Amino acid sequence: MTAPQSGRHLLGALGTVVVGAVVVVGVSGLLRVLAAVPPTLRARPVGVVQTAVGPLTRASLTLSTYPDSLAGEHGSGGGAHPGWVSYGPTTNLWVPAHALVTVTIRNYDGATTLTDPFYGRVQGTVGGVEWVNGRATRGVPAAQVAHTFTIHMFPTPGQPLLDVSVPLPGVPASTPVGADGYPAPTVVTFQFRTGASGRYIWQCEDPCGTRVGGFGGPMSTQGYMTGTLVVGHG
Amino acid sequence: MADLGPGAAAPGNPRGGAGRGVRPEPRHIRRVLVIWAIATVLGIALVLNLHRLLPGLLPPMASSEAQGVDFTLGFFTVLAVPVAMLVWVFAAYSIATWRVRRFEGLDGPPISGSPVLQTTWILSSALLCLFLVVYGLALLTNVSAAPPGRLLTVDVTGQQWQWNFKYPSRGGVTTTTLALPVNRPILFRVTSLDVDHSFWIPALAIKIDAIPGEVTTVYAMPTREGTYTARCAELCGLYHSYMQSRVRVLSAGGFSSWIGAQERVWGRGGG
Amino acid sequence: MASRWWSQSVLTGVPMGVVTALVAALLTRAIGGPSASDAAICIGFVGWAFGFLGGMGAFRYPRTLLLARPDPTAEEEHQLAVQGGGPWRYFRFTTDHKVVGIQYLVLGLVLFAVGGLAAMLIRLELLRPGAAAFPPATYNTIVGLHGIIMIAGTIIMITGPFGNFVVPIMIGARDMAFPRLNALSFWLLFTAVPVLLCAPFLGGFPTGWTSYAPLADQAPPGMDAFLVTILLFGGSVAVAGANIVTTAITMRAPGMTWTRLPIFVWGAAMTASTLGLMVFPAFMAAMVLLGLDRTLGTSFYVASGGGSAWLYDNLFWLMGHPEVYVIAIPAFAVIMELLPVFSRKPLFGYRTAVASTTAIVGLSVLVWAHHMFVTGWAPQLNGPFMLTTEMISIPTGVVFLVAVGTLWRGRIWLTVPMLFVLSFLWNFVIGGMTGLYLADVPTDYQLHGSLFVTAHFHYTLMGGALMGFFAAFYYWFPKMTGRMLNETLGRIHFWVTQVAFNVTFLAMFYVGLQGMPRRVADYSAQFAAGNFVASIGAFVLGAAMLVFAYNIVSSWLRGQRAPSNPWHAKTLEWQVPTPVPLENFEETPVITSWPYDYGAPEPTPEGAAERAPA
Repeated sequence: MTAPQSGRHLLGALGTVVVGAVVVVGVSGLLRVLAAVPPTLRARPVGVVQTAVGPLTRASLTLSTYPDSLAGEHGSGGGAHPGWVSYGPTTNLWVPAHALVTVTIRNYDGATTLTDPFYGRVQGTVGGVEWVNGRATRGVPAAQVAHTFTIHMFPTPGQPLLDVSVPLPGVPASTPVGADGYPAPTVVTFQFRTGASGRYIWQCEDPCGTRVGGFGGPMSTQGYMTGTLVVGHG
Repeated sequence: MADLGPGAAAPGNPRGGAGRGVRPEPRHIRRVLVIWAIATVLGIALVLNLHRLLPGLLPPMASSEAQGVDFTLGFFTVLAVPVAMLVWVFAAYSIATWRVRRFEGLDGPPISGSPVLQTTWILSSALLCLFLVVYGLALLTNVSAAPPGRLLTVDVTGQQWQWNFKYPSRGGVTTTTLALPVNRPILFRVTSLDVDHSFWIPALAIKIDAIPGEVTTVYAMPTREGTYTARCAELCGLYHSYMQSRVRVLSAGGFSSWIGAQERVWGRGGG
Repeated sequence: MASRWWSQSVLTGVPMGVVTALVAALLTRAIGGPSASDAAICIGFVGWAFGFLGGMGAFRYPRTLLLARPDPTAEEEHQLAVQGGGPWRYFRFTTDHKVVGIQYLVLGLVLFAVGGLAAMLIRLELLRPGAAAFPPATYNTIVGLHGIIMIAGTIIMITGPFGNFVVPIMIGARDMAFPRLNALSFWLLFTAVPVLLCAPFLGGFPTGWTSYAPLADQAPPGMDAFLVTILLFGGSVAVAGANIVTTAITMRAPGMTWTRLPIFVWGAAMTASTLGLMVFPAFMAAMVLLGLDRTLGTSFYVASGGGSAWLYDNLFWLMGHPEVYVIAIPAFAVIMELLPVFSRKPLFGYRTAVASTTAIVGLSVLVWAHHMFVTGWAPQLNGPFMLTTEMISIPTGVVFLVAVGTLWRGRIWLTVPMLFVLSFLWNFVIGGMTGLYLADVPTDYQLHGSLFVTAHFHYTLMGGALMGFFAAFYYWFPKMTGRMLNETLGRIHFWVTQVAFNVTFLAMFYVGLQGMPRRVADYSAQFAAGNFVASIGAFVLGAAMLVFAYNIVSSWLRGQRAPSNPWHAKTLEWQVPTPVPLENFEETPVITSWPYDYGAPEPTPEGAAERAPA
């Protein structure tokens, strides 16, 4: 092989490598777009509260759970899966660090019996309770639970545990349907404290999805019954 | 090979090569065996010091099972060094010694095998294999039996994508953090409510699949206090990466007070 | 027949396939209602395959048989093999084994390109903790696609292109035993590819390539695409396997006794018989049951309905473990085929090598449950399966004796194919030795399901088998295309690949030992250093593959013309002209010696007799 030939070949090989890198970056960008990451709902800090563990930022979040996807982030058309149960307005959440977070969840869906009654218990909240339509409770029988809001362990070392799990009682089947097409919701309120910043996953632990075990479809898709929770500053 | 080649038109093919007749052939076998011995010693020295070169090479070995695994990993590696070096040193020596720059139409000697060497190779690898099997069976018998002492049973349930831990001897207290008393044998009874998971505590070197509809078991004997992680080791869907739990190995007293506190919370009811 | 250039080619096959698929899917949906959407997808994909093959003219001969019409004439057979000559015959149902070999080669390379792209995306996600590149569902689908594409690609990479192109010539035959089945095996494989690539658009699949049930029961419709892919691929492999075995048994030229058979033919035939005929059907059965679970609501794998996840595990690994040997054995065979050529010495211990290959094939079907040591299924069998698994290291070790024995005192000619042969010796030793930790039950309790396992099987399947493919590729490319590959680029490809491969997967052993599980999108900071190194290594490895890709394209188009026997080898394929004529041989060769008699007392016919490269 002569020198100019050799140079041309090396240049060609280098060009191929560059084209390959562009393809990898392009495809990964395309996949990110296709994955449609849900928008983030931020719990705004609203002042400071003095607690037994010192001053904490006060913040609040309001979520809803629907028997379909017509009222949340997927738009009135319901997106690709209008029939899937969903959390709304979105499933990616942000709360401040070192805060007392008050969460209100309006559940418009009926009950599906839990596969594990353990998730009928309220865990990790302030006082170990949740308020269901204003009434404090430590747990809900498995057969009456529609969904749960359960935060998970996360693999980052040093990050504080946030073992919060609350059951959302289902709307009784006899509840009349209102003008918005849904029955009057069960309103669940609870509080939890955040520590240092961190990233978490949360999900529903009630088998309300599709296919075997009830954990397919919306239960396995971000933007429906599962999402992220970021604890951060600013 | 066949009757259709271009025919035996090649010029003379002096076997052995030109320069080789001048000085006596070096004693290749002896040379290569010396190199092999040196490489083996160096290799074993490297293996024995690997944990110094690579910090955190293994998880903290915090159970009697883990200590056995730790030893076996090192032992097998030491055994593997001479075998690997045998292949590499012989191959590298051949390349270094008998490499030709370009094809010259010359062939090597027509050695098509050595029954003695082949038999020796097969027999010695069979012996090595037999040793590994016997060693493995002995270790397996050891880890399959309940360790001595008063057994604490923990029921582990996997559900996409979280573990929970139930202490049946403590009124069914159930938690998402696993706490274990040190130096006490533990029996894990593992199951799944949906798909296959696998219950793995790297620091204790135990792993057993969680199979829906079945209860699988594994013993462990934690020997070192500390905070570790339990992970799912079988791809189980969306949040497989995040199916992890905190594991705390506590002193006997620490465990009593922890489980007592959990019992009080659990007793307040719910569900 | 097939006189018009557009008729009975992919130009008729693809539209007919798409139309059949749509009709089949819509009909199923119309009859079955909304609950039949999985059935509609499955039936639609099967319809695509049938429609495509119909449009290709694959059913002309079966139709002739069924309707008791006269057999095709010799002229028609000739037409089927030639298909008008020219490049268009590569897009037709062409029966010439050399065309099928090239088709397999190109499709295999395309599969590697797609699977390699997926590997880059995986390493992009794992570059640092935090799942920064993709959300977990996307990542899981990428992992599954990488797995199945690479498994399929490595299964076909040697027996497909070289088994088809080279084996018939090596044994002195004019074609394969069943030329039509040969064309069918390729086009059936071809139909599987678009089906699999539909999976990401049907919600993907979260299971990885092992598609463990009941997670696979729960998965989105992408799983339907996966299971139909396996059925089509399995059909292709069965047809190809039967063909290669029959060819090796019945088509050998006079004098080509079993003890004169090139070792590569032994490897290809034994692989084909094991995989296609014995073990792959278990995976197909597993997928049929999964399809029934998903479409008709049966519960073969659902415990609450009386099914068992262990049933799936067993069916899968009944295929899964022999299958990795099926990937490795053709590579062993390539290594043993090339070593005598480039050491200019007879193959050391030919009969022992054949016996060992047979022993590996035999034992490979008895080791499947070593993948199930930690499943809790039959703990009393863990000991016996540890025994069979460790026994397989004995015949595997013989391959190394054969290699070293052949190298010893040889005249070692370090061509690019020989470099890849030698890298096999390095990588497969590491791959094999690390297998011992996984065969030992107590250490497997720790390492199973970790990245240690991933590193181990990449050392065997990529560092071992894929290096065998590269060796075969550089070796036979001149015969198959009539061009030499550029040597400088080949050496760059070799050295960068070998270094980057070892960096990538040694780092992966490290994080695996540290306790990092496989197939995770996100991980703890303690694994960050090892993963960063592995990702950088993988990106460099990807760049090396692109150099290889450029070399293939530029050399195929404008490379140096290849002489008919550039390596001065003695097997039959190098004694026929390049390009190889349609009938391979003017007259049937008569074999009088074995192909590795280098250094034989009489002067060898190579050397000066060979024309110098143009």
